[in-house]
Amino acid sequence: MAVAASAKPRRSIARRSPWIDTAQTVVLAGVLIYVVVTGASSLTYNWQWYRIPKLLYVVSEGKLVWGPLIQGLFVTLEITAWGLPLAVGIGLVTALLRRSESIAAQAVASGYLQLIRNTPILVQVYLFYFVVAPIFGLGAFWACVLALSFHEGSFTAEIFRSGIESVRRGQWEAADSLGLSRYHRYRHVVLPQAIPIMLPPLTGQIVTLIKHSSILSAVAIFDLTNMAIDKIAETFMAFEIWLTTAAIYLVLTIAFSVVVDIVERRIRRRGRA
Amino acid sequence: MTGRVSAVRRRRLGLLDAIIAAAAIAVVVYVVYRINTYLVYNWDWERLIQFFVRFDATRGQWVPNLLFEGIVISIRVCFWGAVMALAIGLVMGLCRVSNALVLRQISRGYVELVRNMAPVPFFFIAFFFVGNQLLLPLELDSMMREASPETRAVVDVLFGQPNLLRNFIAAAIALALYDGAYITEIVRAGVQSIERGQWEAANSLGLSRYHVLRHVILPQAVQRITPPLTNQSIQLVKDSALVSLLSIQELTFMGQEIAHSTTRFFETWIIVAALYFVACYGLSRLYGRIERRMKRGRTEIVGA
Repeated sequence: MAVAASAKPRRSIARRSPWIDTAQTVVLAGVLIYVVVTGASSLTYNWQWYRIPKLLYVVSEGKLVWGPLIQGLFVTLEITAWGLPLAVGIGLVTALLRRSESIAAQAVASGYLQLIRNTPILVQVYLFYFVVAPIFGLGAFWACVLALSFHEGSFTAEIFRSGIESVRRGQWEAADSLGLSRYHRYRHVVLPQAIPIMLPPLTGQIVTLIKHSSILSAVAIFDLTNMAIDKIAETFMAFEIWLTTAAIYLVLTIAFSVVVDIVERRIRRRGRA
Repeated sequence: MTGRVSAVRRRRLGLLDAIIAAAAIAVVVYVVYRINTYLVYNWDWERLIQFFVRFDATRGQWVPNLLFEGIVISIRVCFWGAVMALAIGLVMGLCRVSNALVLRQISRGYVELVRNMAPVPFFFIAFFFVGNQLLLPLELDSMMREASPETRAVVDVLFGQPNLLRNFIAAAIALALYDGAYITEIVRAGVQSIERGQWEAANSLGLSRYHVLRHVILPQAVQRITPPLTNQSIQLVKDSALVSLLSIQELTFMGQEIAHSTTRFFETWIIVAALYFVACYGLSRLYGRIERRMKRGRTEIVGA
């Protein structure tokens, strides 16, 4: 209805200061937060924000000691740091297997992609933790990292595929007509053109990895989310701890989104030059 | 591209096939060796099958068991989640392309919040806030306690156990809020993909914005957003597994219960994963078939 109402005085809206709209948004968000907070107090929820900093860091005897939430954050970052190169590797191998002429290679690649795409990541985590890990004798950490990287690998495979396919046909034919071998065709003609296209979505994969790593908290890995669940069970400060955790994730993912943005702009600028 | 290459060189089994086949056999042999010799795992599929239906000796009939109940609850969560996600996505998607900046800011804020937030904290926050805050004044619990047996029966079919109604709705809303953000972007992309000429033509006919959207833009946009929407519905089925973390007793939750109570971890998780695979793969095949049929129908109309 607001959409319809805004139709007639279209020009006046265009002239209206954006600050008025922004102010409206801020007021609306404020009202929403107020309703939630008062709703919580009416339930006699006891807000204890003052206890949160202790979960982040403690200064004892002049030394800074990280609290459980920040320790969990380090585990999350560690998982991401291992998961990203593994996911990129799995994705690259899958994309190349799919493009090869070998029937077995294509079968393996498409079987892997179908399996990953048609099952929930949570069930994949359970499968890796309870089934794959004992078979191969993996620890909890590596079971989680592998579950995550095999899941993300299906996304990176798609990024590689679309990147390689975006190289125009004439380029492939030119490489063929020069008599380049398959390796040299990829090495000198296709990949130099495909990589600038693939790089921004690949760095964006970091954000997805950080987000999805929270699902690993369903098994025994003490990342940020699991630390939060653990501390809530201990202190009953469900709202404060969840909101703090969410804020930490937001800061992390938005920071990486900005990095992705910068990478994208750099590449575009270099492409033009 | 592969088509072009394979047209030149005939497809035949090569060195890579041999290597991959050898590697696959090696992996299978190693896995079997580890399971049989090292872990000495006794497979017991029969026990797991009984979790679908079991024979109740006292009543003398077959009754559905945990896995079956889990599937039913999963379907309910997915259904209500999809309905609400579609509503949220449609409203927010139209806000995203609205002329009013305030609406654009709200919908943009919602989308960015969901897309940048880790799913598990998001589900917990949405569940606690919606379940404990917004739904509480509705007094669903006491309403259900005082409801007539008929309404309770209807609620039982639609939402599951009446005394768990509030949790169920809160979880479905959490799922809908999560997937709604992606649907918002699909709707936005669909509306924005309509050529400018269509807007200009509708405007020059003197239609109001509501009528432009209703009669010109949305009918065309719907056709374009149907394929991504069907994809998103498969995504929603997969996301619904996360609801198990909120203690909604759907398939994944039941899987965990069974795995821990029987310690048949291998069989349970393989069965649960297979069930999700069948559901998602089946849906994608079904959608593909419908899409092809719709496309054929459209070309026939154009051809006639």
